Amino acid sequence: MNWPQLLVTVLTLGSIFGVVTLSLNLQYARGGMINFGIVAYFAVGAYTYAIFTQPPPQGLDQYKFGFGWPWWTAVIVAGLAALVFAAVTGWPTLRLRGEYLALTTFAFAEVFHSLLLNERRIGNGTVGLARVERPFGDWGPIEEKYVFAGAAALLLVATLLVFRRLLVSPYGRALDAIRDDETAALAAGKPAQKMRRQVFLISAVPVGFAGAVYAMFTTLAQPSLFTAEVTFIVWIALVLGGERSVYGVVLGTAGLVFFEEIVRAWPFETVRSAQIAASVEHVVTGLVFIAVLRYQPFQAAATRLKVSK
Amino acid sequence: MTLPGGAAALNGALLEARHISKRFSGLQAVGGSDGLSFGVDRGAFVGLIGPNGAGKSTTFDLMSGVQTSDTGSVFFNGHDITRSSPDTIAEQGIGRTFQTPRAFESLTVLQNVVAGATSPGESLRWAFGRSWRNHETEIVEAAQAILRRVGLHERAAARVSDLSGGELRMLEVARQLVRDPTVLLLDEPTAGVHPGLQERLAALLQDLHSGGMTLVVVEHNLHFLLALADHILVLADGALLAQGPPADIRADPAVISAYLGGGDAA
Ligand SMILES: Nc1ncnc2c1ncn2[C@@H]1O[C@H](COP(=O)(O)OP(=O)(O)OP(=O)(O)O)[C@@H](O)[C@H]1O
Ligand SMILES: [Mg+2]
Repeated sequence: MNWPQLLVTVLTLGSIFGVVTLSLNLQYARGGMINFGIVAYFAVGAYTYAIFTQPPPQGLDQYKFGFGWPWWTAVIVAGLAALVFAAVTGWPTLRLRGEYLALTTFAFAEVFHSLLLNERRIGNGTVGLARVERPFGDWGPIEEKYVFAGAAALLLVATLLVFRRLLVSPYGRALDAIRDDETAALAAGKPAQKMRRQVFLISAVPVGFAGAVYAMFTTLAQPSLFTAEVTFIVWIALVLGGERSVYGVVLGTAGLVFFEEIVRAWPFETVRSAQIAASVEHVVTGLVFIAVLRYQPFQAAATRLKVSK
Repeated sequence: MTLPGGAAALNGALLEARHISKRFSGLQAVGGSDGLSFGVDRGAFVGLIGPNGAGKSTTFDLMSGVQTSDTGSVFFNGHDITRSSPDTIAEQGIGRTFQTPRAFESLTVLQNVVAGATSPGESLRWAFGRSWRNHETEIVEAAQAILRRVGLHERAAARVSDLSGGELRMLEVARQLVRDPTVLLLDEPTAGVHPGLQERLAALLQDLHSGGMTLVVVEHNLHFLLALADHILVLADGALLAQGPPADIRADPAVISAYLGGGDAA
């Protein structure tokens, strides 16, 4: 097995999905909002990045827009697009609570997914947008994939720092108060509705960035990459990591990605054994989840990290 | 002051209910036949009494924006706050506690009181900066002073889940006091509070009253309330049965038959 390659992939994907899990954590653990459509915000980032960087359509291309902008402007636009998408989807849904919000966000994501599938002028339909380019080359002796992994990790760290800054402020305390007891928080002058809306919008921005980086990584923006499965994986990572700790969330995501990648990269001798492994993967995944939920190792590790700090 | 509704304005009232009512799926909780109207003067200490289910807590909900009145209006400082949200009403200076004490479980006792105050760092614009830290020290000091005042200073670092029911009540009072409200509505502050702490609470309320705070207190403990309040409102079936100074209320035959049950509580 190619360990360096595996670790680079885990670092890259772990960072990208870590950003999504962190944002979900902000929405859920601090804002009390259940978003089961998080993949849509991620997809908006990826597609926006692809559309703004790709060349204008030619030949057989069915997509209508390609702007050929520099990569970094497209990343910024991806974050803004996710913000706008959050504003549009949040406006009718955020009045709903708990499972109703979960259902509507899920429905929004499904509608968006089917829009991507069927509206060829935006994203080329099922084929997707395949003209995404990675912006970084080798940095002297450092290979491109390491540079890229570093950039993804940087996005994760930046997101972590910005969220932390927000959460240690009185703003974060007010969010905790609202989540703990909304009626009492209102009686203490906290504008619960407004703050929830803000959290929903703020947390969408890094998800848009992460979507852009994911599009760079896969050099593709395709509907099959943005199914509800992404939402579930990110939720599982959140639960694994322990919703109350940002470090646990990051560790949980990294652990989950590592597990998936190691199953994918295992050098099987025969096709038959690969088939067996593929079917066993689901069983093992289930067993690992049960074990992790029972013993919560990531959460414990995160707590130790916090204590020793 | 001219107000809709026809009847003369209650002169100088700081907080005023005019024909308010609330119906819950057929049950008239507040309002009676013509809606509930009363005024609370600036600096007054008003007691709100009445049998279980009379509509006392619902009246508080209507005045603090937790519920919206079906009819009529609520005025505070001359502004119509009938349809204002509870957080804006709180920001305007009406504080309240709840019959079942509420607390922020994930925060410590001190942090609960600190969270009661409105810090500049609670707005998104300031949260990322550093200037809110200057105010933070002030708020924490104010919170500590108030905890001392309600007798919870030794519990400052405790989790709220470790507090007794009576301590929780005092914590809720503290969380409102740190906001320095113009009017404070207290819903059964002595319920579940042991006698020693009740005396402390009585002294505190007297202190707040002489400091100029306007108080409206719902109580079943008439012994406690009639000794403190200077004006009593008696509610029965959502309507005002009687009002006046405590001495008159004690002697009012209608009140005695509807509520005091022979005056044993006084
Ligand atoms: N949210 C609600 N939904 C339905 N009915 C309610 C609601 N809140 C109050 N009620 C009813 O309205 C009436 C008045 O209730 P309220 O709590 O205001 O009375 P109260 O005077 O505070 O009584 P207590 O002394 O027992 O606290 C009661 O009959 C109560 O059951
Ligand atoms: Mg009540």
